[in-house]
Amino acid sequence: MNSGLVAWLFTVSFGASALGGMLGMAGGIFIVPILALFGHLSIRTAIGASIVSVIACSCGSAAPLLRARLTNIRLAIVLETATTIGALSGVLVSNVIPTSYLFFLFAVVLWLSAQQMAARRGDPAVASPAPAGRWAAALRVDSSYPDRAMGHDLPYRVQRLPLGMLLMYGAGFISALLGIGSGVLKIPAMDTALRLPIKVSSATSNFMIGVTAAASAGAYFMRGDIVPAVAGPVALGSVAGAVVGARILMRLSNEGLRILFIVVLVVLGAQMFLQALGVQSLRPL
Amino acid sequence: MTRAPRTPTALDSLLAGTLHYGTVMASAIIGLGVAMGLTGSGSGGRQLANLRAEDIVTAGIALFILLPVLRVVLMLISFLRERDYLLSVIAGVVLTIILLGFAVGSRMASAIAG
Repeated sequence: MNSGLVAWLFTVSFGASALGGMLGMAGGIFIVPILALFGHLSIRTAIGASIVSVIACSCGSAAPLLRARLTNIRLAIVLETATTIGALSGVLVSNVIPTSYLFFLFAVVLWLSAQQMAARRGDPAVASPAPAGRWAAALRVDSSYPDRAMGHDLPYRVQRLPLGMLLMYGAGFISALLGIGSGVLKIPAMDTALRLPIKVSSATSNFMIGVTAAASAGAYFMRGDIVPAVAGPVALGSVAGAVVGARILMRLSNEGLRILFIVVLVVLGAQMFLQALGVQSLRPL
Repeated sequence: MTRAPRTPTALDSLLAGTLHYGTVMASAIIGLGVAMGLTGSGSGGRQLANLRAEDIVTAGIALFILLPVLRVVLMLISFLRERDYLLSVIAGVVLTIILLGFAVGSRMASAIAG
């Protein structure tokens, strides 16, 4: 192993994951473009390394959220049927899709994420008491979560489960194809369709990302797309970065960071778009 | 519409512990492999009981990929014990799809090799 490459991979993943963690997103959306554009790794190697780091971040950050009772594990396993089928479809498509399409799709996802970050998220307004959904009632996925400010548990109901499942299928597909956690589709699914409280949706989505990514990572692992010399340092950097990012999240005011993020997402999106068109926008390192 | 705060369920705690210690273990194995790869002489790095550095990193990565699979297995067992057959079937479906992913990947690998 080349010590320069190891140090660079570790640093990039640490930074991406720490910054991502501060705003509650996975670092994969930064790791893949940086590895592909600046590290001059093939995009498939970058995706293989990133999908492992997505699993690592999901597993590494799950415990405190579970103990705080924010994760709805019944809802998670129900939605995971859709995300894993989506992931499997993504794996099959990845086998035939030209590389330039991957760059183009990645550019679109980066820009959509920038747009999402510019629009603030809030707890969805729910008519109280919300009517019980037929599917949600049959599967008993409605639950409650502890509200610190009010000092007691707040019940919530899961709405429009079929629409949520459809969006989750898309999220799994994009996650597998691009090696990312795919918050860009999970956030609308959780907020607009299922109408979950924001803390519950963040915790549950983080919990689901690991299983979704395992379906595609298993396939990429068997296919030989996961290069240990790259994926190893990336996984280590991501876990360390996620721990640090989560600590800082509790102290920092996010406004400046949010604007920085939007700029980085737009710029990386533009670079990926140029790459898709075959423009060599960057000098080799 | 309020309820008394409930404590984390046994399943919540079991999954939290499994994912936490699994992450620590997988990271430690990858860290060992990377350290061996960096400190040894030659391109392959040090060896540990005939294992190359790269094999150890691969084992750590495999453990990371298997952690969510283990999590679904634990949920399946827990749902079966609670006699919640609907959720057991759902957990079984998720497990099957993930294993299908491994199978699809190895089919692709042999298609590339052949």
